[in-house]
Amino acid sequence: MMDVGRHPNVELLSFSEVESVAGFVGNFHVTIRKKARYVNPDECNTCGECAKVCPVAVPDEYQQGFTSRKAIYLPFAQAVPSSYVLDMENCLGVNPIACGKCQEVCEKKCIDYDDQDELINVEVGVIIAATGMDVYDPTEYDEYGYTRYENVITSMEFERLICAGGPTEGHFIRPTDRKLPKSIGFIQCVGSRSRDGRGNPYCSNICCMNTVKDTLLLCDHYPGTEIKVFYMDIRAFGKGFEDLYMRSKEEGVKYIRGIPGEVLEEVDSKNLVLTVENTTTGKLEKHELEMLVLSQGVIPRRDNDQIRKLLTLSTTSDGFIMESHPKLKPVDAPTKGVFIAGCLESPKDVKDSVTQAGAAAARASILLNAGKTKIEAITSMVDPEKCNYCGVCARVCAYNAIIAPDKKTKKLPVIIQAACAGCGACAAECQQDAIYMRHFRDEQIMAQIEAILARDPHKQLVTFACNWCSYAGGDMAGTSRLQYPTTCRLIRTMCSGRVDEKFVMHAFKLGAPMVLVSGCHFADCHYISAVHWTQKRMDRLWSKFDRLGIRAERLQLEWISAAEGQKFARVMRGMEEKMARVTLEEIEYTMKAIAEDEARELAKKDKVDSVEVEV
Amino acid sequence: MAAREVLFKCLNCGHEYPGMFDMDNVTERTCPKCRSNSVRRLPKPKAESKK
Repeated sequence: MMDVGRHPNVELLSFSEVESVAGFVGNFHVTIRKKARYVNPDECNTCGECAKVCPVAVPDEYQQGFTSRKAIYLPFAQAVPSSYVLDMENCLGVNPIACGKCQEVCEKKCIDYDDQDELINVEVGVIIAATGMDVYDPTEYDEYGYTRYENVITSMEFERLICAGGPTEGHFIRPTDRKLPKSIGFIQCVGSRSRDGRGNPYCSNICCMNTVKDTLLLCDHYPGTEIKVFYMDIRAFGKGFEDLYMRSKEEGVKYIRGIPGEVLEEVDSKNLVLTVENTTTGKLEKHELEMLVLSQGVIPRRDNDQIRKLLTLSTTSDGFIMESHPKLKPVDAPTKGVFIAGCLESPKDVKDSVTQAGAAAARASILLNAGKTKIEAITSMVDPEKCNYCGVCARVCAYNAIIAPDKKTKKLPVIIQAACAGCGACAAECQQDAIYMRHFRDEQIMAQIEAILARDPHKQLVTFACNWCSYAGGDMAGTSRLQYPTTCRLIRTMCSGRVDEKFVMHAFKLGAPMVLVSGCHFADCHYISAVHWTQKRMDRLWSKFDRLGIRAERLQLEWISAAEGQKFARVMRGMEEKMARVTLEEIEYTMKAIAEDEARELAKKDKVDSVEVEV
Repeated sequence: MAAREVLFKCLNCGHEYPGMFDMDNVTERTCPKCRSNSVRRLPKPKAESKK
């Protein structure tokens, strides 16, 4: 942090928040709110005289509430910039009559009660998001008695108690009697790997090794302390981690496979009695301990949703920010020019975070040093003749790549080519066909449908497959030599979001017995949320089928990933079975019903147009 | 718009089941019986939608 603060090429804006991000790769306009510190950091020499006279005491967040701080305080000893900050929510000094003592004693005169937040606008080429994570609050696990029993603490609180810079200067004590505990227990996976509706289903990655490290620290500082770790699995997968785990065992730490179901406190001694089923022996055991540490899991930052919206990112079902590709682009965000690092993306330790940060910086510098970027020619374009300024395209775009049109001023939508990712959802949603996608124009896709259904249409299985997942899933089925029907005819689109309603209707109108729309699983969507539009569109199509008296079952939807060759083959076999049940009469009826519906729609449109002309 | 309970129908196996639907927070649908994604949100019966 000190190095960052001193680096000539780094401008460090601490105590600041990003308010808005606009623009695109190479041209981001970022508005930052630099919050009022009420202390001039350039003048403050951290003498601490202000804190000495401050009459307000509040719990110190950095010390996990074990000690208190003043309303004017230094966030932590190594804070950069090294300057005090005034917590205005607790300060009495807004009204100098009430207090104002800190201002009186400050020799440098660097305290300003009238300081205001400042909005700063910066132009940047790329953005690296590394906003970190939060820790799980274990109060939900009532059976562990956290906050009810003083001697039950979290792993974060343990860190402060054992740290030389902590409230006890590294002397480990138990809260009730301020004495060194003779026996300490650790409960693992608190809030992690949980399937009972509490906590989170994922592994928090860092807790096992953090506990192993803590046990070694205790063994080193306080030999003879009885240490027990209650766990379901110890995940010691990193370099040197297994050695550490073994060392901890050799030091005498007892690892008991089983998560306690109950913790009770003895009234007099304040000792804790844990009831646990030891799954290795299959016996119910009771363990009396003087202190208990809950190894709390990691959760996404509570404001991750705000960050997601600012940078047009997407999140996984766990709430962490999703990378562009888990293997090939692990530090790239789906939005071009945005990179991610650290626990924002998933729970990880320091080493992995540093590795990822290095990779993100390297990826960013490639873009910055090049000075220009190549974009795929597969982007959307506006046909000014057809646009009716409805603005659906701008609403659909997950990348904010379309500047909305204005009906009053007849301003057409503007597609920022550098920001457009080429999913085609806007082209599919535009009812006026006013947006076309280069290389995947309506005419090109329609021509493919017509070619497929030119001969024996009742024997063809029309399948729309997205470029990244379903089409690759088909490839996987092929390279794995999995058998699937030869009647399957694939039409590749970049995203299933590009599959227009009229493509499906056109296929049925030309006599297709079945149509399959396939795309990426929601969590794998290469275009943030384009796949959501596919599902919405399918709901609309199924409703339309009801109206026209067509069996909705003839239009199928499947999410098939690139690795799901088996699923691809299974789906195709199922499609062929269903196809065999579609009669020629049914196909004929469908063709007629769609043709009549189209004629009705056309007549309606002509009527509207003619009325407009008359006016 | 808040999530509401709706009826889903799998167009692969015909299984119907209730589930939560939120227009603003679209989630992947999978039939609990056959694992197909051809799951349709059934429209409300007309009498109910008029209410």
